[in-house]
Amino acid sequence: MNRVGLGLAAAWLVIAVALLWAVVPGLFTGYDPIAGVPAEKLRPPGGPHLFGTDPVGRDLFARVVHGSAHSLSGAFTAVAVGLLLGTLLGVLAGSAGGLADDAIMRLVDVLLSVPGLLLALTVIILLGPGTVNVAIAVGVGSVAAFARLTRSEVVRVRRTDYVEAAFGSGGRYPAVLWRHVLPNSLGPVVALAALQFGLAILAISTLGFLGYGAEPPTPEWGLLIAEGRNYLATSWWLTTLPGAVVVAVVLAAGRISRSIGKDTP
Amino acid sequence: MSRSRLRSTAVAGAAMLAVVGLLGACGGAGPAGAARAAGEPVYGGTLTYLEHQPPTCLYLPAAGFYPNGGILNQITDKLTWQNPETLEIEPWIATRWEVSEDATSYTFHLRDGVTFSDGTPLDAEAVAANFDVYGLGDEKLKLPVAEFVNNYERSEVVDRLTVRFHFAKPSPGFLQGTSVIGAGLVSKKTISLPYEEQCQLKNIAGSGPFTVRHQVVDKEVRLAAREDYDWAPPSSEHQGRAYLDEIKIIVTPEDNVRVGALTSGQADFVRYVQAYDEETVKSAGFTIYAEPTRGVNNGLYLRPGNSILKDPDVRQALLAGTDAREVVDTLFTPSYPVATSVLSHLAQGYVDLSPRLAHDPDKANALLDKAGWARGADGVREKDGRKLRLGVFVAGPQPLSKQTLELIGQQWAELGVKLEIRPADAGTQAVDIKDAEKTPLQHSMVGRADQDVIKSHFHSENRDAILSDDEKLDRLLAEQSAEPDVAARNAKVGEIQRYVIDQAYAIPLFEEPQVYGGAPHVHGIAFEAVARPWFYATWKS
Repeated sequence: MNRVGLGLAAAWLVIAVALLWAVVPGLFTGYDPIAGVPAEKLRPPGGPHLFGTDPVGRDLFARVVHGSAHSLSGAFTAVAVGLLLGTLLGVLAGSAGGLADDAIMRLVDVLLSVPGLLLALTVIILLGPGTVNVAIAVGVGSVAAFARLTRSEVVRVRRTDYVEAAFGSGGRYPAVLWRHVLPNSLGPVVALAALQFGLAILAISTLGFLGYGAEPPTPEWGLLIAEGRNYLATSWWLTTLPGAVVVAVVLAAGRISRSIGKDTP
Repeated sequence: MSRSRLRSTAVAGAAMLAVVGLLGACGGAGPAGAARAAGEPVYGGTLTYLEHQPPTCLYLPAAGFYPNGGILNQITDKLTWQNPETLEIEPWIATRWEVSEDATSYTFHLRDGVTFSDGTPLDAEAVAANFDVYGLGDEKLKLPVAEFVNNYERSEVVDRLTVRFHFAKPSPGFLQGTSVIGAGLVSKKTISLPYEEQCQLKNIAGSGPFTVRHQVVDKEVRLAAREDYDWAPPSSEHQGRAYLDEIKIIVTPEDNVRVGALTSGQADFVRYVQAYDEETVKSAGFTIYAEPTRGVNNGLYLRPGNSILKDPDVRQALLAGTDAREVVDTLFTPSYPVATSVLSHLAQGYVDLSPRLAHDPDKANALLDKAGWARGADGVREKDGRKLRLGVFVAGPQPLSKQTLELIGQQWAELGVKLEIRPADAGTQAVDIKDAEKTPLQHSMVGRADQDVIKSHFHSENRDAILSDDEKLDRLLAEQSAEPDVAARNAKVGEIQRYVIDQAYAIPLFEEPQVYGGAPHVHGIAFEAVARPWFYATWKS
């Protein structure tokens, strides 16, 4: 039990640090993430440069710290898009039933049948590259998962006695949905949101890796990894360290999601 | 449970790192000791050649793209051979030629007994058919005109082995034009196919020392030696069939994989060794071939049609505010000489303009102030509420284009100019690159060992890098291209270079080489004048 608590605390710590990086990057590094000193290019980690420097002489740690703002805000946006749209569709389908349920769920089936990355790429080609667009694209990809989960929960809660009682006592449809159905179906959805947060960071990094994310020289985690891979043989830190940061944050989000999932019935 | 899984992952990761480290160490120790035992050339063997990008359209005049040229240079011959050292034009399929005084008519006498790989003879008719298409294009077949033929009028078949070309105006560049990669000769059947079909490798029948054996589109091309080949340029030491039996060209886009395959012995020869990998290749005892491309330098080309760049002061400021030396010192190696003019110092007609290209941020700032661009709160200059922001696409074919642009963006940020770097996205780029307003700058270069290269790059009817609306520049380029006297022509090329820098249409960065890596057991690698490999006399020990 104690060990589990420790792991969970570490996970929260990782997320907290990553969030602080995004909010107050100046506290963690004094280097400029965009302007480097060309003479100090490709320095290995250690000394004044915690993570070393890149081929243009920029401090890699500064780029990771400042990059977290783009990667994390992107992940938040993506989860928010998925959560809002997905929950809305799920609640509508689950509570309305009948034809509306069928129509919405078939639409969700179609979304599910398209691989997430392909769907995201399609949306980006339509919207054009950019941090926000990438986040929306990733979010659209997770709508289906949220919608399905929410619907199943809503269907369960909808049949419970207290909801029937609420309707019986004259509650109007939207009010009952809002006051009774929604709060009682949200537990697993929040756990999924935490999990999706980790996946969104990965998906955004993947799209950044493919060149659809932030415009260079803006740092972004996926982009940092992509840029470094050509130097893998000579300067290992360029991919390894940002990669390790992404892994840590994604694992931490997953751990937190599991703990939320366990706490709710 | 999850902790132990995490630990085992970490252990596996560490083991992998250790293996990578070991491999690196092996590479360093192994072949370095093996001395280069040249000796007698041997016949046979397969050369594995790793190419950076897949070939695109293989219509001969489009062969300038290096992946295309790497294949076409093996399977086609040209009328003449340009000696890559002296840049003299020497006989090849044409044994001799006469040029009229005013360079409006060229007569070529062809070698007898040359055949294409489809069995048809390479005679005057075939050559005439080739150059009629290269010089005039063919609208019905959608074949575009080749940039190395200017002022072409018609061909005349004098007899079976004599062909004459007539030009409307003097065309002094034509003799060299017959030696370039795009002037490879193909059979009459090939040249009469529509564009889409000439684009496909399987339809190309040339007379070169190799023929196409097999192709997996976008992945692999296998070339086989032609047994009856017996018409190499007379100046070539090796005659008869090629030494190699087969060339296997494999497309390997990942830089690390190409260099790793070379140093570990899986490949014999690779194109496009990045600057940061040169040391890895050299320290493993392998050879770096950094071949000059003798053309318009790698640089940023400024488009006067853009509403910000139409002001010459802004263009001058950007030229003065760019430190090409810092770009080369930071990102590149001595294989990449810093530019001293618009043209490479090995190009014909080159003039040294290095004093005019010196880095001078004070001058740049003064010019921008004078042009009315004042620094805003965020450090970026503004004028009439508009920010001084300029967009540029990352250039896929140029080495380390993104890093180069990032570094220049850093230099320009100090001037208060924001460089917007857009990652290459083929679809968007194809549309926006032709719009000076959306793409005010272009990062590019062109290689060709003739004075006409500057025309190819800047003329509004050729590549038009700056989307030129400058009639004077077009006129100068056309005059250069029609000047029969070599000295006068070189002087004209000098005048054009000065004019381009006066107008600050270009920010030359460095003389872009083509960098190849070769294994120690590969001998006799040759290059044409613009650095495309020629494997005819290559052999493996």
